Amino acid sequence: MSQSLPSRRRFLALAAGAPTAAALLSACGTTTGPVDQPGGSVPDRYAGRTRTVLWSTFADVPGRALQDLADKFNREQRDIYVEVQFQGTYDECAQKAVVGLLAGQAPDLCVLSDVKWYRFYFGDALEPWDDYIDPGELRATYNARLLGEGRVKGHHWWLPLARSTPLFYFNRTLFEKAGVPDRAPETWGEMYGWAKEITRLKTQGKPVAMEAYQKIDGDWQFQCTAWQWGGAYSNGLDVTIDHEAAVAAGEWQRKLVHKDRIAYMSTDPAGDMGNQLIATLITSTGGLKKISEMAKAGGWELGTGFLPRHKEFGVTTGGGGLGMFKRVPKERKQAAAEFVRFLARPENAAQWTVQTGYMPVVPAATKSPALAKLLTEDPNFSTAVKQLPHTRKGDQVRMMVPNANVQIYTGLQKIWTGNTPAHQAFSDVATRLRKGVDRHRQSIEEHL
Amino acid sequence: MSAIDDAGRRLRARRRRRDYLLFAAFAAPNFLFLLLFAYWPVVYNGYLSLTDWDMISPAKDFVGLGNYTDLLTDPDFRATLWTTVVFVVGIVAGGIVLGLATALLLNQKLRGRNVVRTLTFAPYVLSGAAVGTLWLFVFDPNYGLIRPLMAPLGLTAPAMMTDSKWALTGLIVVYLWKNAGFVAVVYLAGLQGLPREVYEAAALDGAGPWTRLRRITLPLLSPVTFFLLVTCTISTFQAFDVLAVMTGGGPGTSTSILSWFIYDQGFRAFDAGRAAAGAMIMFAVLLLITAGQARYLERKVHYQ
Repeated sequence: MSQSLPSRRRFLALAAGAPTAAALLSACGTTTGPVDQPGGSVPDRYAGRTRTVLWSTFADVPGRALQDLADKFNREQRDIYVEVQFQGTYDECAQKAVVGLLAGQAPDLCVLSDVKWYRFYFGDALEPWDDYIDPGELRATYNARLLGEGRVKGHHWWLPLARSTPLFYFNRTLFEKAGVPDRAPETWGEMYGWAKEITRLKTQGKPVAMEAYQKIDGDWQFQCTAWQWGGAYSNGLDVTIDHEAAVAAGEWQRKLVHKDRIAYMSTDPAGDMGNQLIATLITSTGGLKKISEMAKAGGWELGTGFLPRHKEFGVTTGGGGLGMFKRVPKERKQAAAEFVRFLARPENAAQWTVQTGYMPVVPAATKSPALAKLLTEDPNFSTAVKQLPHTRKGDQVRMMVPNANVQIYTGLQKIWTGNTPAHQAFSDVATRLRKGVDRHRQSIEEHL
Repeated sequence: MSAIDDAGRRLRARRRRRDYLLFAAFAAPNFLFLLLFAYWPVVYNGYLSLTDWDMISPAKDFVGLGNYTDLLTDPDFRATLWTTVVFVVGIVAGGIVLGLATALLLNQKLRGRNVVRTLTFAPYVLSGAAVGTLWLFVFDPNYGLIRPLMAPLGLTAPAMMTDSKWALTGLIVVYLWKNAGFVAVVYLAGLQGLPREVYEAAALDGAGPWTRLRRITLPLLSPVTFFLLVTCTISTFQAFDVLAVMTGGGPGTSTSILSWFIYDQGFRAFDAGRAAAGAMIMFAVLLLITAGQARYLERKVHYQ
């Protein structure tokens, strides 16, 4: 009896069929089980310690400030070595964390934005801090309002670190040249009146613009504008961005850009402020140190103030906090918690605020000599602290529906650059957001 | 006699088996890599496109063709497909014309042509991120090279990357700058392989330069053009790096092409199902275009 061999065609068919079946039966990546630590190196002098990896979103001034604190921590004790690994923007860091978790490798601490941390929470990927730092200690340490933003179902999932609010920055030198009062305007109407004088001035041969809108993540600042006009992105999970008030706020900015030509969208509005292309800017308190330095280098005086009002006053919170992934082994979580405790010590929280301009998330920090001195001597630094009690947590849909922030700022870009009527742009955005709410409502409601 | 036949059959079977084993030994390593890095992701991507998964939670809900129907009825996705068509046609057609013109020029006996050839090809080997960053500076309406170039004409430099009317055009210009050198070099190789005697005969018949280009050069270069059309179409569909650095799909959705859409859905919205469905649609579109090019254009190709 002769042995039958597979034909060439059958051989290829078998070879192609096997992985197909295997692919359908298994999955790439894992979403359960413990994760390894990302690679890196421990200096010889710190050998033998428990290594803690922190994925950070801070470069430049805040990046150096965080590294200073990690170095200080590493010098002060003998058990833990903290390695800060910069991972790019909030978006990029979250992307890497998702992919890392799938690949079975994740940091012990991760900086997550006020929007992104919800994705990990809804995906049951976060560990509550309460098992590692006593809730009483947390409450006694952090600003209650900011701490509360990371608390859901009685547990703390996201601790404040680089928290911020939008702040009104203005170029006092240009204001003086234009002959307008040396203060932040109280209302948008007042600002508009001043803009007529300010935009007569020229920088580099071009008229100075009143303000610039941030191309990426500009939805954060516009949320305040919508509130000031009496609107909102959503009321709970009911989308309201296409309602009259928010549309009116969009039309206001459309008019400034396309009719009055005194505002524009920019990829780097803080840079434009530094170069005096714009006279005012609404951006994060976290930019304070950098803009102050640019003002100094450019030879102009910086002023800050509360956001202008319209029908009402509205300002939100934002920025980044610290999350810890459930799948990280316990001893690494304990080490990570030690570093978080260190960061929350008043003198360290104060150092972080002094070096960056982010809000003091630990109230006791304001009494530390360095920060107390700065708050007294530099009124710009105290503006954010004074504005904090007036802040509101962001609208729910923006924070909890995946990609809602991107949908909103994409709609805003259409208004700013395409002269799309606000009702049209926001109606498209609202359709998408409602679809997102329908799709994720169950998961959101189960987790809240 | 039958014993000899049996022995012969066994010997042939053994030889065939040995041949197969040898074939398997030679082919297996490459085949495994292909399976792992080319076919497996496609198959797994196809599976993901039938699910609703946020890439974080363990649960992948099977939704059948839901992601596909959702995408194909989504006006924004249709707009993305249209933007992709404009982008691909602009870059492929523009690249072929520009590349051919450059190659014809570089095929002349000019002083320093080797240096110019190198310079022409150089942008192609630069990293997309570097090219994107460089052109952001060029296009900056306040400090960029574009400003002094427009000023003598009495024109204000447009905000190429932050104005939705200009962004796609700007992006096409950058990709043309980056890719035209590759097209030119391939055409140049083709031009240098063309038979001289055909041109000499045409010259004797009184054919002018334009007639020679139209009647001889272009038909003889048709295999090269066909190759470039197929490869440039595929690579342009997959363009991502320069776009990510320069526009990020914006402003608004003005430069959101299919590759960006897939990234946006997958890595910003963490919607693996929609991203995978978008990737499968791109795969199908590329397959159709390539098959169409092979079927209809290849008929017009002269392989001499």
